[in-house]
Amino acid sequence: MKTNKSAAGIALDILRWTVLIVFLAIALLPLAWLILSSFKTNIELETSPFGLPAKLVVENYHNAIVTADLPRLFLNSVIVAAGAVLLNLLVASLAGFALSREDFKGRDVILTVVTAGVLIPIISFMVPYFMLITRTGLYDKLLSLVLVYAAINLPVSVSLITSFMKAIPKELEEAAIIDGCNFNQRFTKVIFPLARSGLATAGTFCFIYAWNEFIMAMLFTSSVSSRTIQLGIRYFTSQFITDYTGMFAAIVLSMVPSVLVYVFLHNKIISGLTAGAVKG
Amino acid sequence: MKRCRNPNRIWILAYLAPLAILFVAFFLFPLVFNLYTSFMKWKGGGGMTFNGFANYLKLLRDDSFILAIRNNVIWALAQGLIQIPLATLVALILAREPRGWKALRTIYFLPNVISTVAIAMVWVAMYNPQYGPINAIWKLAGGEPRNWLGDPSTALPSIIAMTVIYIGYFMIIILASVMNIPKELYEAAEIDGASKVQQEFRITIPMTRGTILTCMTLAMAYGMRHFETTWLMTGGGPAYSTNTMGIALYLKMDALRYGEASAAGIILILLGTVVIVLLRRFFGRKDPMTEAAQ
Repeated sequence: MKTNKSAAGIALDILRWTVLIVFLAIALLPLAWLILSSFKTNIELETSPFGLPAKLVVENYHNAIVTADLPRLFLNSVIVAAGAVLLNLLVASLAGFALSREDFKGRDVILTVVTAGVLIPIISFMVPYFMLITRTGLYDKLLSLVLVYAAINLPVSVSLITSFMKAIPKELEEAAIIDGCNFNQRFTKVIFPLARSGLATAGTFCFIYAWNEFIMAMLFTSSVSSRTIQLGIRYFTSQFITDYTGMFAAIVLSMVPSVLVYVFLHNKIISGLTAGAVKG
Repeated sequence: MKRCRNPNRIWILAYLAPLAILFVAFFLFPLVFNLYTSFMKWKGGGGMTFNGFANYLKLLRDDSFILAIRNNVIWALAQGLIQIPLATLVALILAREPRGWKALRTIYFLPNVISTVAIAMVWVAMYNPQYGPINAIWKLAGGEPRNWLGDPSTALPSIIAMTVIYIGYFMIIILASVMNIPKELYEAAEIDGASKVQQEFRITIPMTRGTILTCMTLAMAYGMRHFETTWLMTGGGPAYSTNTMGIALYLKMDALRYGEASAAGIILILLGTVVIVLLRRFFGRKDPMTEAAQ
């Protein structure tokens, strides 16, 4: 630490912290306002948007949970997100194993083509996806969302898991082969367990995507019983017309799972995002 | 030269099969299907008849679709020229490891893990003309209260301004690249008497140029496909002023004009690819396509 700073140095420090605090405010204040408003009455919200509530209106949360049937919406989203993560990790880890630990013709081409999938704007596929889902009889079933979310995340998961598995030292696998491990056992007993950290990163990305996704859920489901949480909060106002603060309470609750996952696994996300950048 | 056939080839095929099935079903088939049906007169359920470029011509003669393309270009420019410089600025500051930089990095990324629906609904409320905090702040600054999202002249800038909450995504990527620069370079510059600001421009920016340009390419490609936030906040209105290609596609589909919807999808893919290819040329990078893909 330097003790004597020049005037210019101090000015630069002030400038730096101003920038940091402005962006901190941009990221957090809307969320703080949302949480604050979710404890107000609707009248309080309209008369003083910044004021503190006279007393915490916990009823808003009660309304959100009971009237909007939040437990059902949550259950649907948990089923969809868990199913999508499991399917995605299963498919990506099997493929990642073959692509990282075996040598065969066309291996690099497959990896490049699959990875390039992230460059496709998925929204341009609304028509073909809709056809695929309706023609296979999956319309209005949660399974349709499990399949679509797992598939959309494959380019990210396959490239993350493959590069993670590539980094596992050859010696570990050779020792296993000498011990009599066959192809399947090399995967189940050696590579899969050692790649857990890479799987967690890919799984975190897939979970957050699946929990938050809206467009496909809107396209592929119609009945209230197969709504996910995102559809539920989106159509909250059509049930309550003017209960804004109740709606805010529902939005706050809908954010809890992905924010919790982020709080515990943000290092996985940051390392996953920067895996490419450090190489470049 | 012939490679030895891998003795495990049957197993390799079995391990790749699930990926192949899902990738073909959800990436390759849709691409081919979209292209095929974009040349068809098709109302969904019934049969299709070939009608050449009629769907494309219809879209390109439609003022609301032209407006959608224009808006996506504005989005691409805004993402590339506002988002990336801001993300770079914050990354440069955090790279000096000020107090609490790790916590700040984590918080700046937070909006990226919250659903678009939640963010969009919060910001619709923020811009609300009756109780929204934005108007309250605006009035404090001496402005007349406005209906930000309901006025065609302010709706698009209002949504674009709101997306600065997402800078954390590219900031994290650029920050990792900055922190990867060998410390000795800065020590040498320090001895040579270079100021901190000079060091950023002479060392940091040139050393991270590749990453910044890749991020810019990605950000602009995302701008060309921007859809969801606007769809949730304004539905493309008022008077198509915030329309985007994705919204046009959805509305065509909703009106059972599947052929035109497919054509809109193909235009969306083409323009997105053009942006990536053009920027790649412009920036003179070897291969940001595969780099971006990571």
